[in-house]
Amino acid sequence: MKPNSFVLSVAAVVAMSFAGATVATAKTTLEIVKERGHLRCQVGPASPGFYNLDAKGNWYGSDVSICQAVAAAIFGSKTKLEIQSVSSQVRFTALANGESDMLSRTATWTLLRDTQLGLDFTAVNFYDGQGFMVPKDSGITSAMQLKGATVCVLTGTTTELNLADFSRVNNMNIKPVTFEDSNVRNDTYLQGGCDALTNDKSGLASNKAAFPNPGDHIVLPETISKEPLAPAVRQGDAQWFDIVKWTVYTLINAEELGVNKANVDKMRSTSTNASVRRMLGVEGNLNEGLGLSKDWAYNIIKEVGNYGEIYEAYMGGGKLGIGISRAGSANDLWTKGGLMYAPPFR
Amino acid sequence: MSMVKHEKTAPRDAPLSETTFIGWLQKNLFSSWINTILTIISIYIIYSVSKSLLIWGVLDAVWVAENRRECFAISKHGACWAGVLIWFDNIFYGRFPRDQIWRVNLGGLLLVLWMAPLWLPRVKDKIFIGLSTVFLYPFLAGYLFAGGDKGIFMQVMTTGAIVCLIGNTVHSILGMTSGRSLPEYLIAVLGKEKASDGNQRNTLLAILAVAYVVVYALQMGWTVMAVPWSKWGGMHLTLVISGIGITSALPGGIILALGRRSRLPVIRVLSVSFIEIFRSVPLITVLFMATTMFPLFMPEGFVLNKLVQVIIAVCLFSACYMAETVRAGLQAIPKGQYEAAHTIGLGYWGMMAFVVMPQALKHMIPNIVGSFIGLLKDTTLVSIIGLFDLLGMLRAISQDIPWRGLHHEPLIFGAALFFVICFAMSKYSRHLEVKLSAGEKH
Repeated sequence: MKPNSFVLSVAAVVAMSFAGATVATAKTTLEIVKERGHLRCQVGPASPGFYNLDAKGNWYGSDVSICQAVAAAIFGSKTKLEIQSVSSQVRFTALANGESDMLSRTATWTLLRDTQLGLDFTAVNFYDGQGFMVPKDSGITSAMQLKGATVCVLTGTTTELNLADFSRVNNMNIKPVTFEDSNVRNDTYLQGGCDALTNDKSGLASNKAAFPNPGDHIVLPETISKEPLAPAVRQGDAQWFDIVKWTVYTLINAEELGVNKANVDKMRSTSTNASVRRMLGVEGNLNEGLGLSKDWAYNIIKEVGNYGEIYEAYMGGGKLGIGISRAGSANDLWTKGGLMYAPPFR
Repeated sequence: MSMVKHEKTAPRDAPLSETTFIGWLQKNLFSSWINTILTIISIYIIYSVSKSLLIWGVLDAVWVAENRRECFAISKHGACWAGVLIWFDNIFYGRFPRDQIWRVNLGGLLLVLWMAPLWLPRVKDKIFIGLSTVFLYPFLAGYLFAGGDKGIFMQVMTTGAIVCLIGNTVHSILGMTSGRSLPEYLIAVLGKEKASDGNQRNTLLAILAVAYVVVYALQMGWTVMAVPWSKWGGMHLTLVISGIGITSALPGGIILALGRRSRLPVIRVLSVSFIEIFRSVPLITVLFMATTMFPLFMPEGFVLNKLVQVIIAVCLFSACYMAETVRAGLQAIPKGQYEAAHTIGLGYWGMMAFVVMPQALKHMIPNIVGSFIGLLKDTTLVSIIGLFDLLGMLRAISQDIPWRGLHHEPLIFGAALFFVICFAMSKYSRHLEVKLSAGEKH
C-alpha cells in the first residue's frame, strides 16, 4: 500500500498547486470570452423549438437565439458563437468546469438547482408546464378523467416525478410506462400502448405535429407543473450574470417598446421615446455597468430580433416553429396579460 | 475376337443435377418430402417479410419531399427517405463547412490511394507501405481536416507524408507493371546498376532529399481554412475516432501484452493494473471521466480539446482489450519456438519480432478483427457526451422541425452503413487469414 499512498499524495499536491494557480490568475468570464473571441453556449441534444440542427448543419431555435443574443451583445455579431450540445447528465458539470460560458437549454429553474449546483438562473425566457395528450376518440376531456390510466412518460426527468405527484395528490393510481427515447415513447402511444402521453406542453405540441394524423389527438387543458426555463450561468461572477440576464430583458423590453429587427435602425435615429433612446445607446450610458459597448442592446435586436420575433419563429406559427399559440399564455407580454415582464432601461 | 474397344467411348454428359438449375433445385431443395415442405415454408416466410419491406421501403416510399408532412401527404404508410437524403451531408460530414467538404473527400481518397497497394499482387515492401500509412498519413489527413496555420512540425510531417505518398504510388505502379521496386528502377534509370552499394544508397538518399526539399517548398504556399473540431461530425467523425483507436490499439496492445508477460516486476505490475483498471470500467464511464472530470483537475483556461480527450480515452480502452487478445495469441505459441529462437542467437526483441509475433498475430486475426468491429460500434457512445457522430446525427433528424418524428428511416440507413463497413472489415480479415495460412491448409 505504501507506493500507492505516496502516488496519491503527490497527485494531491499537484492538484492543489493547480488550484492555487487558478485563484491567483482568476479572470472574469467576460474577459475570458472576449479573449477567446467567441462565446461558448451550451444547449442539449436537439429538442424541437428550443435547439435543433438543420440539414445544413446550423443550429436554430429559441434557446439558440438567446445564445446568439448574448454573442451579439458582447461582440456585435451573433456568429461569434460556439454552440455546444451536451447531454443532460453532464450539463451542470460542463458549466462548472468552465467548458461552457453559459447554459441556454430547457433546464427548469428550481430551488435545489439554484442553491446546490453552483449555478444561477438569470431570467425566465419561457414558461412551460406539463400536460397530457390523449386520442380524440377516447372521449377524455380533462386530466381528472385519467384515473387508473397508463401514461407514457420519459424516465429520469422531472416529468416523471410530476406525474407521480399528480397521481398521488389526486389519488388517481396512474400507471406510468417509462421510456428512454422520445421517439419510442411516441410510437408506443400511437400504437395504443398507453392511454395518454405526458410531456411539457411545448413538447406535446411538437410531438402532436409530427403524428401522421395530428387532428386525431388533443392536448388536455390542465397544466400540472410549473416549468420556468431560464438561461443559467456559473455562480460567483455578478457581471456575467447581469449580462445574460439583461440580454433576456432587452429582448422582452424591445418587444414591449415596439422595436424589432426591421425597424431598429430607424428607431435609433428617429425615436423620441426616452426608454428606446436609452436602450439603443443614444442617450445615457447604461452600458457601463455591464462592461459592454454602448450599442450592445442595439446589436442584440439588429442581429436576433426581439422576444416576440423569436417566439413567432421557433415557438409560434413560423415555418420552423412548433405552433404553440402565445395569446393569453404565460409567455405573452405583461401588457397583454402574460408574465413576460422586464425591469426598465433606466 | 477381342473384347477391347479400339475407339474411345464418348464422354457421358454430367448428371442433370450437376448442370441444370432444375437439377440443382431438386438436389438441394426438394430432395425429400420433408425438405420440400421446409423449402415451401421458408419461401413463404421470406416472401411475406420481404414483400412488406419492399412495399414500405421502396414501392410506397417517398424520395423527394420538402418535409415530413409532405411525405405523409404523398404516402402515409411508406418510408420517407427524403429526410435522410436531405440530411445526407450532415450524416456523412457532420457540420463541416459545406464548401470545404472536398477536404474530407480528398482525405478519404488519399487513404484509399495509400492503402490500395496492400491489396495489389506483385507490389513489394508492403510492410513499409503499411507502416507509412500508420505513421505519416494521419498528419496529412489531420491537416486536411483541421486546416489553419501549419506549425513547423506540421510542415515537416505533411511534406514527409506527401513525398511518401508519391513514392508509394510510383512504387506500386512500377511493381504492377514491371515487377521492380522504385529504388531498383531509379538506379536502373541512372545507369548505376554496377556501382557499389554505398554509392547506390547515397544516390537514392540524394534523390529523396531533393524530392523532400521540392515538396517542402511547394507545400509552404498551401494552406486551407481552419475548421474547429466542434464542426466535425457524422460518419467522418466516427471513422476518425475509430480509425485512430484501431491503429493505436494493436501496437498499444502488443506493448501491454508483452509487459504483462514480462519478468520485470515493475513493468508487469504496471501493465496488469493498467489493463485491469481500464477493462473493468465501461467505456461510457471512461468517456465521461475524460471529458467532464479531467478538466476539473486542470488549471483554469487549460482546455484540452474534447475530441482529443475522447480519442485518448478510446485508444487506452481499446489497447487494453487488444492486450488480452495478443496475450492469448502469445500463449498459443509453443515453448519450443521461444527456445529455438534463442538457440539461433536472437535476443528478446529479435525473438518476439521475427519468430513469436508473426505466428501469434496470424492466430489472432479473427479476434483482432472482432475487437475492431466492436470498437467501431462502441464509438457511437460519443453521441452521449455531445459529439455528433453518425448515430448522433441520425437521431437529430427526428428533432429537426421539418422532419419531426422521422426516426425509423435514419436508423435503418445507419444500420446499413455500419453493416457495409463491418462486413468489409470481416471480409478483409478472411482474405488475410487465407493468405497467411496458405502453408498449413488442411
